[in-house]
Amino acid sequence: MLNIAKNLYSYRELIAALAWKNIAIRYKQAYLGLAWAVIKPVTLMLIFTLVRSFVGIETGDVPYPILTFAALMPWVFFQESASEGVASVTSNAPLIRKIYFPREVFPLTAMVTKLVELTISFFILAGLMIYYHMAPTIQVLWIPVIILYTMIVALTISFFGAAINVYYRDMSAALPVVLSLAMYASPVMYPLSLVQNKLLVEHAGGEWSETLYKIYTLNPLAGIIDSFQRVLLKGVPPDFASMWPGVTLTLLILPMSYWYFKKAEYYFADVI
Amino acid sequence: MAIIEVNHVTKEYRLGNLTSLMETTTNMLKRLSRRQPVSRERFKALDDVDFKIEKGEVVGIIGSNGAGKSTLLKHLASITKPTRGEIIVRGSVAPLIEVGAGVNPELTGRENIYLNGAILGIPKKIIHQKIDDIISFAELEQFIDTPVKRYSSGMTVRLGFAIATSIDADILIVDEVLAVGDLAFQRKCFDRMEHIIKRQGKTVLLVSHNIRQVERICTRVILLDAGKLLVDGESSYVTNLFYERSDEKIKSTANRPSSPHSNGNGRLESLGEVELLGIELEDELGRVTQKIKQYENIDVVIRYKTNIDLIKPTFGIGVHTTDILYLATHNSGEQFRQTKLVPGIYEARCRINRFPFLAGSYSLRIGITSGELYRAVFYAESVHHFQVEAVAGLRSMAGSEGFVCLDAEWQDISIKPAQPQSDAVWSQSNVQAVHSV
Repeated sequence: MLNIAKNLYSYRELIAALAWKNIAIRYKQAYLGLAWAVIKPVTLMLIFTLVRSFVGIETGDVPYPILTFAALMPWVFFQESASEGVASVTSNAPLIRKIYFPREVFPLTAMVTKLVELTISFFILAGLMIYYHMAPTIQVLWIPVIILYTMIVALTISFFGAAINVYYRDMSAALPVVLSLAMYASPVMYPLSLVQNKLLVEHAGGEWSETLYKIYTLNPLAGIIDSFQRVLLKGVPPDFASMWPGVTLTLLILPMSYWYFKKAEYYFADVI
Repeated sequence: MAIIEVNHVTKEYRLGNLTSLMETTTNMLKRLSRRQPVSRERFKALDDVDFKIEKGEVVGIIGSNGAGKSTLLKHLASITKPTRGEIIVRGSVAPLIEVGAGVNPELTGRENIYLNGAILGIPKKIIHQKIDDIISFAELEQFIDTPVKRYSSGMTVRLGFAIATSIDADILIVDEVLAVGDLAFQRKCFDRMEHIIKRQGKTVLLVSHNIRQVERICTRVILLDAGKLLVDGESSYVTNLFYERSDEKIKSTANRPSSPHSNGNGRLESLGEVELLGIELEDELGRVTQKIKQYENIDVVIRYKTNIDLIKPTFGIGVHTTDILYLATHNSGEQFRQTKLVPGIYEARCRINRFPFLAGSYSLRIGITSGELYRAVFYAESVHHFQVEAVAGLRSMAGSEGFVCLDAEWQDISIKPAQPQSDAVWSQSNVQAVHSV
């Protein structure tokens, strides 16, 4: 863990240069340029809003488009960081074969690249907030913490996935499927309060309701998305009850994932 | 303390395809149940390699293809890890393994300089100071803000080399990078390498197939063969040994006993009118030999069979290098104009006085004509491979010093010219004239 932070610092110039390269080559010959970065969450928001007009989803007092956009921002950030992170080692095969630097630079770079795109999404969000006359509160100071936590979750998946992907490309094929399923298991289309209501208030799962809710919140994204919406749109601090199962799980898996990555990295050049 | 220590390093690769997930799983289950897993054949890319390099040494690593040179460099650059043994590197390593590894075609030259600098671990500040040097060294002033994908290949490697050699590391690992660009740029690269080596006193490891270059730059050379460290020593000794080994290899593949006039790589033009049965070299005492000493008198004995009447024949004999560079020739001319040979087996003998070639590997070519019109009835190249050994005291090798050793003799070197002034002027202007040609 500390090692990651240390490498992040000592290789900051490299990570910055590589992230900048990723962004530069992705948008260099594209007319719309960086606008592409926000087209995905914006399109999804529009589709969800359309779907919602057929299927009633209870969202409380926050307008649905901005609520779902605030959910899509961390979700898309997480999803793309994880899938780019997993592919990052194999897609840099020429570098891996020729130059050594700690290989975790690649997943980290993928994350930083996506962070830039996330930043652009904030402008859209700000636009939406102005449109709906919503003012941010002091609670937005939680945002960096939540994003950092999201990055750690994405890294946990990236380290393990990227190392596996070097040996078995099945990983990069399977991941999009898993991630699109995970979207439905996360409060992206619907707010977490809906799940809370069903399980904790209405006890839809009978005596298992509490346990089911625990299992649901084992998904770190549940806590992340909910907190993101709370601090930005509702002006209340994160709900730690929905956070801690995910946090615990992540902190348990991250060291293993990182250890596996470091163990495998010396053979990357041989098998990639 | 040694800056690089390679302690009994062995690297094994498994041959064949990467196992599928299925196989890995079944193998794992077998291992768990203590049964023999299906294993693939192993290949040793490095086999118990062991050496130390002190600070400031310039070491060349040579060997034929697949000897393990690049694998060794990959270990030193910690790109991969040995199967057994350990490698200790005390200092920062700049791996110039294949120039331009990180050059991205979409970015401009300038952007690539910053990116590659970061990849090679050069701080941005330093790049900022050096960028003008890099651009002018690469001779890309005009194109520096154009995407690299529009560069010619020569421009790309020039850029790569310029970036790579601007790193400030304790150890430089160079894999075949000096042969980039046109001749003028190669010269520049070479000078820069020499500057880095001689002036900055860095530890350098150089892998190259250009043995002359290795011999010139390095003080010590390591010869690898099939993953094993064969010799480690003073550079001219090791490179000569390498030459001898590859000469022998060329000979053993070329002079196959099955075909009397084997024709590995040369032309053979014959309608079967004349057949070559065998060629031998004999020294002055009439002993058959494969190795000639420089300036030795030798006889070339050609056994041949003619199936036609050979009228007024001429015999030609020539010497060429193993890569068919014609070096010398001799033609019997009018010598046998009165001769007429009926079909049968004959022997021709040709004396070469004071064989003038430098130590190295050579081959013979033979041509025979018949009749008034010098009609070619037989011609073949690479008909006989042989080696020339250096005379004691003369260690120059074919190629590096030319091929022919002039049969000359110094008369005196202390003659005082009658008019030294004008003579000197004359010789100087003469030298300049030669250079400007």
